[in-house]
Amino acid sequence: MTKNWWKHLILIVGTIVVLAPFYMMVSYSFKSPGEIDRGEGGFFGRQEMMVDPRCVALRQPNRADIEAARTRFTGQADTEIQAALLAEAEADCSMRPVVFNYSKAFTEAPLILYLLNGVIVTVSIFLIQTLVALPAAYALAKLKFWGREAVFGLVLFCLLIPVHAIALPLYIVLAKFGLTNTYAALIVPWTISVFGIFLMRQFFMTVPDDLIDAARMDGMTEFAIVWRVMLPTAVPALLAFAIFSIVAHWNDYFWPRIVVTGNRELFTPPLGLREFKGDGDGSFFGPMMATATIIVTPLIVAFLLAQRRFIEGITLSGMK
Amino acid sequence: MSGLQIDAVEKDFGETSVLKGVTLNINDGEFVSLVGPSGCGKSTLLRIIAGLETATRGTVSIDGTDVTHVRAADRNLSMVFQSYALYPHLTVAENIAVPLRMRQMSTTQRLPVVGGLIPGTGPLKRDISQAVRHAAEMLEIGALLDRKPGQLSGGQRQRVALGRALVRNPAAFLLDEPLSNLDAKLRVQTRAEIAQLHRKLKATFIYVTHDQVEAMTMSDRIAVMMGGEILQCAAPEVIYEDPNDIRVAEFIGSPKINILPLEHTNDGVVLLGRVLDWPMPAGMPHLMQLGLRPEALRLVEGPSKLRGRVVHFENLGSEIFAQVVLYDGDIRLTLRATPADRQRLSLGKEVSLEFELRSGLIFDTAGKRLRMAEVKTRAAKEVA
Ligand SMILES: Nc1ncnc2c1ncn2[C@@H]1O[C@H](COP(=O)(O)OP(=O)(O)O)[C@@H](O)[C@H]1O
Ligand SMILES: [Mg+2]
Repeated sequence: MTKNWWKHLILIVGTIVVLAPFYMMVSYSFKSPGEIDRGEGGFFGRQEMMVDPRCVALRQPNRADIEAARTRFTGQADTEIQAALLAEAEADCSMRPVVFNYSKAFTEAPLILYLLNGVIVTVSIFLIQTLVALPAAYALAKLKFWGREAVFGLVLFCLLIPVHAIALPLYIVLAKFGLTNTYAALIVPWTISVFGIFLMRQFFMTVPDDLIDAARMDGMTEFAIVWRVMLPTAVPALLAFAIFSIVAHWNDYFWPRIVVTGNRELFTPPLGLREFKGDGDGSFFGPMMATATIIVTPLIVAFLLAQRRFIEGITLSGMK
Repeated sequence: MSGLQIDAVEKDFGETSVLKGVTLNINDGEFVSLVGPSGCGKSTLLRIIAGLETATRGTVSIDGTDVTHVRAADRNLSMVFQSYALYPHLTVAENIAVPLRMRQMSTTQRLPVVGGLIPGTGPLKRDISQAVRHAAEMLEIGALLDRKPGQLSGGQRQRVALGRALVRNPAAFLLDEPLSNLDAKLRVQTRAEIAQLHRKLKATFIYVTHDQVEAMTMSDRIAVMMGGEILQCAAPEVIYEDPNDIRVAEFIGSPKINILPLEHTNDGVVLLGRVLDWPMPAGMPHLMQLGLRPEALRLVEGPSKLRGRVVHFENLGSEIFAQVVLYDGDIRLTLRATPADRQRLSLGKEVSLEFELRSGLIFDTAGKRLRMAEVKTRAAKEVA
């Protein structure tokens, strides 16, 4: 213990560096704007009632409101009625900071729609990637055909190409087909994942050949082998790939920003975050951080669930 | 059930030739063992028969039909693998059912929910689970049907693999060293069970093993393979008593056959400097090899053909194997003695060994059997 204290220190510092932004995000999502500005209130903030200035501004009573309210406040002067109405508006518009932040997250922008878009896009991408990667990886790992090594070399080569390098040509092709501002534009460019092919191929290399031969003897076609034998034995590897793929595309800001221009119906969650970017009326950090928290929560939950299956899945036996 | 014909099959892996022209005819219902040392091409031959590997040259026929270019799945053969190769994600019952489900049910019928709606699926499923239960009972694994392979012992997995092979009615069963991952006791037991299974099913079995005891005890015929060739294919007793080749003689039989150099000179046949009373026909080569099984050697008192000192001996209770180093030529012989001879065998003791001329097997220097050179009592009797 004493001998290893420095290792622990390094790990602790590393953990803090990684977790600090998360801590800030979650903490800000609880606090009132004042607390955020002044940097006070600890993790949860004091949760004192606060008044939403924008809400009040929207309910600034005008002449018609005063006329309409005259029956309720009989015998009072206009200025008195106006003051009473303002007080009512302020009472209606005051809430705890946490409620304010999270309700703003959902009302300021159609966050539910964005989350739904995110789910549609990431799940479609992952499913199609699996549909392509599993047969490809099976062929590269277990079938003998002319040029197999060359194809695998190409796969490795494609791993080296950065996404941003081919973004422009991809965009042009999509634009030529008139596919910008569609789900297809968000999904199609990512359906072939060389990383997925590579990862699954490496896993399939460890599956005993006898298992595949047994399946052939049992009357399975090669496609049946992929889906009935390789897929079930590859669940842990596929989960690992799912984590990479889903996290990458759920959080992707770059590509949706390029192919979705203007059409808010197609916004994915990270694009939704933009709606909170500092407009004229001051910082909107609380709701923004609430939105960010809402966006990452499904990922964290999914990861924790997958992690359990992951460990269960790794204890594969019976193949030997 | 049907016979199998393998005709001049050759297999090259790149530059290396693994099978060098194998021809083998297997009759309907026969139990044939392919036996030979590791790496001699047994598995490759079996995989070519199965259709998992394609022959470079030659043909494979099942029941007279050429299947050389037929897919493994369409050859109607069952195979048991050394590693058992059970599907790790399926239960025992599902594992055994796979060959039937894949062959008897259509793709749509196999779908989880939709399949049940297609007419005929229900009865078919009942038939399959009936067949699975029947196979499981035959192998006494009925109680394990709901387990996953990971929860089974090696012997149980082996039975499941057998069950998966025999749940349907294939043209032949192919087994690739199915017992080599079992412990010794279980191996002996399962050996007997497989032999019984063969008698009961009256099916064609091709059984690959490197263990000569398995081959000797189970087979109708043994094909001894070495270096990508079948050296001899015959009944176990013929292989043991009447081998065609010195490599067959050396491979089959435990302990190994003793080989002594034999010279054919003008004085007669000379064994380690002693002239033997051996009626050698003319035209035999100058140098030959004499093979003597350990049980062909006898302990005698007084002078004899072979004399030496006991350097090692193993008492197995029912029999004793002694190793004797001869004074002439520094050759080590193995002798099988009965417990009655135990007193006469102890480490360092000098012994005299004798053998019958007609129990000796003669080979030329290349290892080919020279039947002409042997002393034939049977032939002598026939003449008399
Ligand atoms: N797929 C392959 N590629 C190259 N060489 C192989 C392949 N399969 C088997 N061999 C070679 O063929 C020889 C015979 O192998 P095998 O049939 O498995 O032997 P056995 O089953 O008798 O032990 C071995 O030397 C092995 O290295
Ligand atoms: Mg083998």
